[in-house]
Amino acid sequence: MRILGTMLLFFIVFPLVFVRRNSLFQITIMYITMIVAIFLVFIYAPTEKVQGIVQKIFYFHVSSAVTMSFAFFVVFIASIMYLWKNSDWWDAVALSAAEIGVVFCTLVLITGPIWARPIWGTWWSWDPTLTLSLVLWLIYVAYLMLRIDAHDSKRARFAAILGIVGFVDVPLILWSVEKWRTLHPKPVLIQEGGTTGLTSAMLLTFMVCLGAFLLLFFYLLRERISVLQSRHALEVLRHEIDEILAG
Amino acid sequence: MQVKNFWYLFAAYSTIWTALCVYMIRLSQKNKALQAELRDLRAQIERVLAK
Repeated sequence: MRILGTMLLFFIVFPLVFVRRNSLFQITIMYITMIVAIFLVFIYAPTEKVQGIVQKIFYFHVSSAVTMSFAFFVVFIASIMYLWKNSDWWDAVALSAAEIGVVFCTLVLITGPIWARPIWGTWWSWDPTLTLSLVLWLIYVAYLMLRIDAHDSKRARFAAILGIVGFVDVPLILWSVEKWRTLHPKPVLIQEGGTTGLTSAMLLTFMVCLGAFLLLFFYLLRERISVLQSRHALEVLRHEIDEILAG
Repeated sequence: MQVKNFWYLFAAYSTIWTALCVYMIRLSQKNKALQAELRDLRAQIERVLAK
C-alpha cells in the first residue's frame, strides 16, 4: 500500500514539474516511460491464467480510460473557469483537453471490442457501460463540432456548458462498471474493501502504463494549447498588418 | 487459441500506437507551421515599420 501511495503521489506531482520543462525534456521522459511500460507489459507482467495473452490489452485499455476521464475532468474544470473568468486561456485549455479526451475515448472504444471478441464472443454489447462510453464520445465529438468556429464567443459559452454537463457521464460510467451486472467486468484495480484484484507485478505494470499515458496527456495538452495560442497570435499580427497598411 | 488471441493483442496495441503517433505528428507539424508563419509575419511587420 505504501508503494502504491508513493507511486500515486509521483504521478500527481511529476506532471506539474513536467509541464514547466521544455519540449525535448518532455519527449525524452515520455519516450523512456513508454518503453519501460511496453517492456513491463510484454516481458515482466505475468500472463493471466483464464484470459491468457489477450488480457494484456487491459494495461493500455484501462490506462486510456483513466486518461480520458482525467481529460474530461480538465474540460469540466476549465469550462467552469472560462464561464467564471471569461478568459481565453481557460477556453483554450478546455478545447485542447476535449480533443485529447476524444482521442483517448476513441482508443477505449476500439480496444474494448478487440478485447471483448475473444473473451465474450462478440465485438459489442449494448450494455450500460459500453453504451454510456459511446454516449460520452458522442457528447465530446459534438463539443468539438461546436468549436469548429473557435472565435464565436456565444458558441464557446455554449460549448463550456456542454463540457460541464457532459462530464456527468463519467461518474455514471464508473458507477455502471461497479453496480450493474453486465458483460463488462467489475473493477479489478480497486475492489470492495479497498483490495486489488491484481498481482503486485500486474499492479506495477498498470501504474507505469498509467503514468506514461498521463505524461503523454500533459505533453499533448501543452502542444495543443500552443497551437491555439499561435493561431490567436497570428490573428493579432494580421490585424496589425492590416492597420499598418491602411494607415 | 493463444496464437489466435495474439492477433487481437497485436491489433489493439497497433491501433493505439498508430493513432497516438499520427495525432502527435499532426499536432507537432501544425505547431511548427504556425510558428514559422508567426516568424514570417513578425519579420514582415519589422520590414514595413523600418521603411
